Order: sequence, then C-alpha cells, then structure tokens
Amino acid sequence: MKATRQRFDAVLFLGPAVVLMLAFFVAPIVVNILVAFSDMNQTVRFEEFPTTKQFNKLGKLDPEAFLGIELRGSFYRALALTASFVLLTLFIFNVSFALILAVTTTAVPERMGAVFRAIWLLPRMSPSVVYALLWLWVVDSAERGLLNQVWLLFASEPLNLRLDHPMAVIVVANGLIGASLGMIIFTSAIRSIPEHLFNAARVDGAGPLSIVRHVILPALRWPISYITIYQALALLVSFEYIFLIMGPARSTMTMAMLSYTKTLAPGIGGGQYAYGASIALILIVVGIAVALLMWRLINMKSLLQRPRIEVN
Amino acid sequence: MEMKMTIKSFSTAVFFAAASALAAPSFADTITLDLWSRADRSGPLRAGNIVTSAEQLNRMFEAAGSDTRVEINLVETNNKGFDADALALLKAHSIGETPDIAVAAHEWIGSFVEAGLAANLEDHIAASPWFYTDMIPELWTSVMYKGERFGIPQDSEIRMFFVNNDILRDAGYDQNFIDELPGRVDRGEFTMYDWCDLAADTVKKGAAKIGWVHRPNVGPDFQMAMASFGIEIYNAEEAKLQITKSGLTKYYGWLKYCVDNGSLPADMTTFSWDSTHAAFRGGDALGKFHGIWNVGAQMEAFGLTGSKDYFDKLTWIHSPAAEKGGEPKNLSHPIVYIVGETENKDLAALLVAMASMPVPNTAHAVGTNHTPITYGQVSMPEFQEKGWALVAGTPLLARAEFMPNHAKIGQYNAITYTGVQAVETGEMTPEEAVDMVLEELEIELGDDVIILD
Repeated sequence: MKATRQRFDAVLFLGPAVVLMLAFFVAPIVVNILVAFSDMNQTVRFEEFPTTKQFNKLGKLDPEAFLGIELRGSFYRALALTASFVLLTLFIFNVSFALILAVTTTAVPERMGAVFRAIWLLPRMSPSVVYALLWLWVVDSAERGLLNQVWLLFASEPLNLRLDHPMAVIVVANGLIGASLGMIIFTSAIRSIPEHLFNAARVDGAGPLSIVRHVILPALRWPISYITIYQALALLVSFEYIFLIMGPARSTMTMAMLSYTKTLAPGIGGGQYAYGASIALILIVVGIAVALLMWRLINMKSLLQRPRIEVN
Repeated sequence: MEMKMTIKSFSTAVFFAAASALAAPSFADTITLDLWSRADRSGPLRAGNIVTSAEQLNRMFEAAGSDTRVEINLVETNNKGFDADALALLKAHSIGETPDIAVAAHEWIGSFVEAGLAANLEDHIAASPWFYTDMIPELWTSVMYKGERFGIPQDSEIRMFFVNNDILRDAGYDQNFIDELPGRVDRGEFTMYDWCDLAADTVKKGAAKIGWVHRPNVGPDFQMAMASFGIEIYNAEEAKLQITKSGLTKYYGWLKYCVDNGSLPADMTTFSWDSTHAAFRGGDALGKFHGIWNVGAQMEAFGLTGSKDYFDKLTWIHSPAAEKGGEPKNLSHPIVYIVGETENKDLAALLVAMASMPVPNTAHAVGTNHTPITYGQVSMPEFQEKGWALVAGTPLLARAEFMPNHAKIGQYNAITYTGVQAVETGEMTPEEAVDMVLEELEIELGDDVIILD
C-alpha cells in the first residue's frame, strides 16, 4: 500500500518534468538521429532508411588518414572555422572580457558599476535583427559606414572588414553579447565573497592586483568553469548573428551555419534535411565530447563536492 | 504560417443576398479548389486572375442553368521567395494537403513531378488549342520535364546587362559607340572581357565609381554568364544536370579578371540587395546584370519619362559571348501555374487556361513589368502604351535560356555560387574553385550531375 503510494507520489511529482524532458529534449535528438540516417530531401518522406549516404558527403573511410576518416574539403573547413570561432569568442570575450567587466564594475562605486553593467546588457536586450543591422551599418564597406567615417579621418582607403576580416567581425559581434552573461554571473560571485576577506587582505598590504589574484579569482573558479562549458556549447550551435551579419558567406561557414544553409535557408540550396541532420548529429557528438573533456580538465567533480571550509 | 481565407467577390455576395431574398435555389454542387500562392506584392494578379476566372465560370454555369458553382480557397503563404515557398508546398503535399492549383517558379517543376504533386497537362493542352495556340513557343520549354509539359507559363521576363549611357559619355565614348553596342554584342564581336575592360575604363576615368554589379546572392542570373562560356547546364535526354570543367574554369577566370582589373567589386557577394540596386540606380555603376522588371524603378530613380528618354539614358545588351564570334546569351525565368494531381485537376486546368487569356494576363504583365506569354498581347493598346519596355524586350527572348526543371537545380546553383564567392573574394584561384565546386557537386548531387571535361 505504502509502496504504491510512494510510486504514485513519484509519478505525480516527477511525471510532468519527465514528460517535458522527453518531449522537448530527448525527442528532437531521436528525430534528428533518424533523419540523419535517411535521405529526406525536399519532402518529409523517408525513401531510404537506414543509410549512411549523408555521412559520405562529409568524409570517406581511408585507412591511411588520421582516425581512419578523410574529411571532405568543405567539411574540414567548417570544422576549422567552428573551432576558431568558438575558441576566440569564448576566451577573448565570454570569459576574459566578462571577468574584466565584473572585476572593474564591482571595484568602482556601486551606482556607477550598476550603470556600466546595464549598458553592457543593452545588446543582449535588443532584438537580434536590430543588433545585426547596426553591425552592418558599422562595418559597411562604403564611406557611409560608421567605422569608415572615423577611419577615413586618419587613412585614405576605407576598411572592408566583412571581406578582409570576416572572423573578427563575427567574433566581436557575438562576443559583445556573450560577455554580458559571464559579467552577471561573475559579479554576483564577487559580491558573495565576504567583505572581511578583502579587509584582511588590505590590512596585510595587498594591492588591487593581488586582491584580484588571491581573493577574487580563487572564489570564481566554479563560475568560470561553468561559464566556459556552457558558453562553449552555446557557441558551437549558434549561427543567428553569423547569418544576419555575414549571410551564407564562405568565410564564416561554421558547422551550425552549414547545417542551416543545407536545410532551412531559403534560396541557397536548402531542403536537404537529411544532410543537415547529419551535420547536426556531428555537432551533438562534438558538443558531448567537448563537455566531457572540459569536465575532466576542470575537475568539475571536486568543485561539486561540499566546500571544505565553512565561512560564516 | 498560413492564412486560409475564402474569397467571395462583391458581385457574388450581392448575388447571394439577392438570391436568398428570392428563396434561392441551393447550390447543391459547390466545388472548392485550393489555390496555393505566395503573398507576393510583385504579382498579386497571379492568384487574382484565377479568382476572377472562377467568377466568370460561375456566370457561365448560371447562364446554363446549372447548380454547380466553383469556389476558390486561397492558401496564401508568407514565404520569402519562390524557393522557400516551393519547399513549403512540397511539405504540404507530402502530408496529403495537395492544392489544386499552385503558383510557382518553373525550375521546381522537376521536384513537383518527382514528388507526384504536379499533373501532366499534355492532354489538356492538346484539347484546348483555343486557349494555347498563340503561346510564345520558347516559353513551353520552361514547363517541360522529360519531354512533357507539367505547367502553364504565367508570365515571363528577360534578363540583360543594363548599361548607363551617361557614364559612357562622361568617359569619352561617342553616341556612335553607344548606338552600336547592342549590335556588336549580338554579333559576338564584343566579348565578356571587352565588357570588363570597358567598365574598368570608365572607373579609371572617374566616370563611374563601380564598374558593374551582379546579384549579391544565389540566383538564376549567373546561368546566362555560364551559358556564355559554353556551359550547357542541362542534358535533356538524360534529364540530368551538367557541368563542363573547361567552361567553369573560363567562367571563374573571367570573374577573377574582372575583379583584378577593378571593374567588379571583390566583395560583391557580401553586398545587400539595397546597396546593389543603389549602385546602379544612384549612377555609381556603369552596368548591372539583372532583369526587365527593374525598368519601373529605374525610370523613377533617374527621373525618366517614356521610352525615348529611357533608351537615351540606358542601353540593354545580352550577356556577351565569351570569345569573339561566340554566342551571346540571356535568360528568362517564367513563373508558372501548376495543377495539382487531385480529383479536381480537369476543372483546375480549365481555370488556369482562362486565367492565361490575353485580358487577365496583360493586366498582370503590364502592372508588374513582365513580358507577355502570347504574341497577341503585344498588339494590345495597354502593352503599346504602358508596356513599351516589355514590347522592346520580347525580341530578346529569342536568345533566352531557361533554368532546367530539375529537382536539384537549387543545390547546383548554390554550389556553383560558392565558387563565385571564393574567386571574387580572392580566397581561391579559379582552378582551386573549380576543383572545390566539382567535388561538392559530385558529393551532393551524385548521379544527378554529369561532369564533362
């Protein structure tokens, strides 16, 4: 009787969450795997199943090659672009710059810090299309572009960033948005460091830099690890700003962009659902691998243990 | 996101009101036809003409004392562009929601036939000479798939290089040169390379800021340049797409030549449509490579009135030949009606035939700058007065190429365009781009593409 009751309670409390998880997290991945091994194209019908046809477009088996697979040119390129996009955005902006913002805005008087943080949140609050349009105006290669209006005061030739430095454009555009999330998390972490630790450090004669190094950074270890993993996974599949600012340009055709252009992008060869799904599947696998790898590197386990010191 | 709405015209409404007052006969037999069309400002009458045809047919039924009535259920979609719309239509068909009539870009016919969506119209066309005898014969090519017709051309257009004569004059070219240019192109004396040299010269002399512009995204226009370089992109016998390695190398080589000599912007493929249009209509660029429907906007931008004014300011040329003595080319990209493989297909085909008659079709064509589909339309006063540019463009159809009606033409265009992008931005040499493009074509299209040397 009691056991039944317990089971009933379990279903009552966990049921809705489990159903939601299955419907919105597990089901799409299952569908994606099914589609990736089919030849779904233009219509939503499966003609051949299962087939590895789609994966043959990405690489072919070759015992001579590294890991036994020789990647196709375009796919290799997409992987390389994805890696540079994710790493650059992550380490320059989403972690380092976010850290700098958090440390500086908590060091200045409270009101001023709040104003600065609010300004840094603006890009995240503006609709992505508006934000992208502003970027397009900033980097416009003609003389009317905002950047060129300033640049031409000192130089004779206008800059054409989208042509000459496409990766820089999407890294900065994504980074300025991405930095604000880290900034908020780090700020709240810095705020939760007990005041007496700062006072003690100052009494011992520590300058601002030593305080950052010996008091703040150790306390931020866990939020930094979290932000790194979370943002790496987010950047891996993000293509919104790349598409809005660069369009389907070859110079910024990351894996996520490739998957989108092959499936849903109108007018640029879309409709290859199975092909896109196979690319997405590889992204899922890469994402899981990256997460596990970081888990090992950062030693997440020890971070999840109960703190050894109680600070009251 | 689709809005389903039933259109009942005012006259039918009035008729119903009057009829119900007189204890109307109930129409036991109302046949509802689904009409699929994009909400497209550039051609509202594509769907509208079908609706008015249905009204006309209902009047005939009434006169004959029949109880049958036809009602059009307009499935209006908000897809951005014909490609997105065709994909949505294929999805609707694959879950059993096949429309009776659809407005579509002709190159999707192959996909529609393969998916069992489009009905074969050969019998219908053969049985209706009264409707179709005057159709401009070249246009039938655009609705053929494996030798049979699966659609009815709804409108047509013609693409060309537009040339700004004032820029030529500023650069020191005399009226004689300008007048002779179209003829020299037509005879194959003025080549693609001459075109880029000419454009580069006007830039050097400060008459133009930009030599010339092409579309900034994937699209059919490039096909006419490819055709100039001798690439036959369709093998009709085998119903397969085709590419020629040597032709592609020459074509990409020519693009590189034009970027290097300063006539074509290296970042052309990252322009927006707005800046592309502005480059030509703002008088910055000598040439633009696009279609006849631009005429209206050009008249407005340059402040022109009437045909004499227009042709004094602008010249039209075909896409020139690749080498002296070769053939110039241009392209037409018709929009077509297809009839769904449904139980009402005979009735649907009849409505399409009625909507393709000169009066409704001319109302669409003149209003939206499209060339006529029948010879007779050219002589209509409306065409003579308002459609002078379209009448002028109709002879160009003789050199027109069409996009092949092959299911994978969208992918083919997207892949060959990546080569254009790689060469223009300087990322690859023409030879590298050819290798990359051929590899991609082979991988993505497999047996659907024939690769020739």
